[in-house]
Order: sequence, then C-alpha cells, then structure tokens
Amino acid sequence: MVANYQAVENWVLAEGILRRTLDAVRPIGRSGREAGAFWLGTRESTARIHAVILPHGIGVEEHRGRWTVSPEVFGVVTRWAKPRNLCLLGVAHTHVRGVPPVLSWSDRNLGVRFPDMLAVIIGNGGDDSGHLDWGWHVFEDGDYRSLAHHEVRERVRIDREGQFEAWTADANGVQQVRG
Amino acid sequence: MDATTQGEVTPQSAGHPVLAREFVEVSVDYLPSPNQFRQSYKDETLIEMVRTDAMTFFGVKDFQDRNIHKFFLEFEGRVLENTSQSLEQLLGPHRRSAHFNLIERVTQGCDSNGRELPSC
Repeated sequence: MVANYQAVENWVLAEGILRRTLDAVRPIGRSGREAGAFWLGTRESTARIHAVILPHGIGVEEHRGRWTVSPEVFGVVTRWAKPRNLCLLGVAHTHVRGVPPVLSWSDRNLGVRFPDMLAVIIGNGGDDSGHLDWGWHVFEDGDYRSLAHHEVRERVRIDREGQFEAWTADANGVQQVRG
Repeated sequence: MDATTQGEVTPQSAGHPVLAREFVEVSVDYLPSPNQFRQSYKDETLIEMVRTDAMTFFGVKDFQDRNIHKFFLEFEGRVLENTSQSLEQLLGPHRRSAHFNLIERVTQGCDSNGRELPSC
C-alpha cells in the first residue's frame, strides 16, 4: 500500500508567515548563526501555507553554517500538527552574511526530502527581506531543484490578507507566539 | 473470528487456557504527508515490520550518503530504537490500537555515497 500525493502546482503564503519568519531568524542571523522556520498548511494542488513553526531551544542547533532540528522536535511538531490537519510544506532557513542563498550539499541532503517540499534560503542572516531575493527550491524526482525567478513569481503567491498562526517549538512542546 | 473476539479463551482449551493472537489497529503519521498509514497487525508483529510498511506507504527509505538517514517510529514521545520488539511487548497484552509518528534521524559523518541501508 503506497500513498498517492497530489502534486503541488502553486503555493499561497500568508504574508504574515514571511514577516514572522524574518522576525525570528534575523536576531540570530545578525549574531552570525543560522536559524529557520517550518511552514505548514494544507497540501492541495494549490497548497496554502498558514502556520509557521519557529523551532528554537532544546533540540535545535543554531550555528554558523548549520541549522539542525532534532528528530524529537519533529516528533513534537508532528503530534501537534496532525490533529490540526497541517502538513509540513516548506522549510525556510538563513545563510549567514556573504553566503549565497542556494542549497548547500548538507541543505540538499539533510533536509526533508518529500515530493513538492519547498526549501527556502534567506540570505544575509535574514536581512534580505524581499522574498524574491531568497533561494527557492522544490523537491522533485528525488532531488531539490532551484526555482527560477519567473517560476517563483508564477507559482508562489503572497496573500497580504491571509490569516496565519505562529508558534515556537522545541523538544518539550509547541507554544503559540502572542502578539 | 474478527479482531474484537481475538484473545478470548477458546472452548477447546478450557482448563488449559490459550490466548489467540490479538490484533492491534496501527496508525502512523508523517509530518509532510496529508495521508495517514493505517493497518491492522497481530500483536506478535515486530515494530520493524510496522516501520518498514509505513516507510513504504510514505515513499521514504533509509539511505546512506555522506550521512546515514534512518527513519524511526516515535511512540508517545519516545523514539523506538529497538525495532525487534513486538507490538505486544511495546503495548502490553490488552491494548488494541496504537499511534506512531514516523521521524527521520540523520547521523552525520559517513563518507560512502548513495547506498541504501539494509533493513534491520
């Protein structure tokens, strides 16, 4: 028995997801370390991303040149997300200043490898605020492929009015971000 | 005999009670997938079989490149390292259902390329 997955043709992101992601990763990026976020939502032909998880703390390593999230944190997020019918649709993380926003070998191979998963690299430790300046990649046919600028414009729509939720997570649990 | 009657003492064994195998309804979630793996297993089934079936369902597999990528089942917040135990050993004799999460652990530092890992 094998699950069939509907291909994701387009993604719609609530603008607040981008803002909260940048708010979380910038302070860490400015201290010379990498940080990141999980983008979750509903997986359909047009996938809607309306929740952001900001892993930080126990089980999350934020170093220069490396951001890793432990399996225990993935477990915590899974237990939180599934009852809400949320799927992981994308992972965004920073590269520190001067490192281009493209997938490194470790990004490509240590990240989540699942059909149509987005891997987004935010350059300059989060100071690159325009999403079109970021590196967008999608997992297809067993590997990540870089999305060209025109493809990002065509396939990724930013919903300025979109409702969203923001949460933090570590190995101990998930907490809503207030404010 | 359906799953709800498994485990009852059969009339033939009165005086020498022998329990028939019970069935456990298993479900597994994987964070990127919208689908849930569900299957009924005899309670003597090893965790490794559940892990393997769930990985097949979700289309993922253990893999080794420079690193070792291995998927684990997580149960009630605990990563199940011992996949040679049975569902009964994990759950106890009377539990009829169990929910797991499939999670990946990457162990860094190997230097071989592109090999699939043998199953346990």
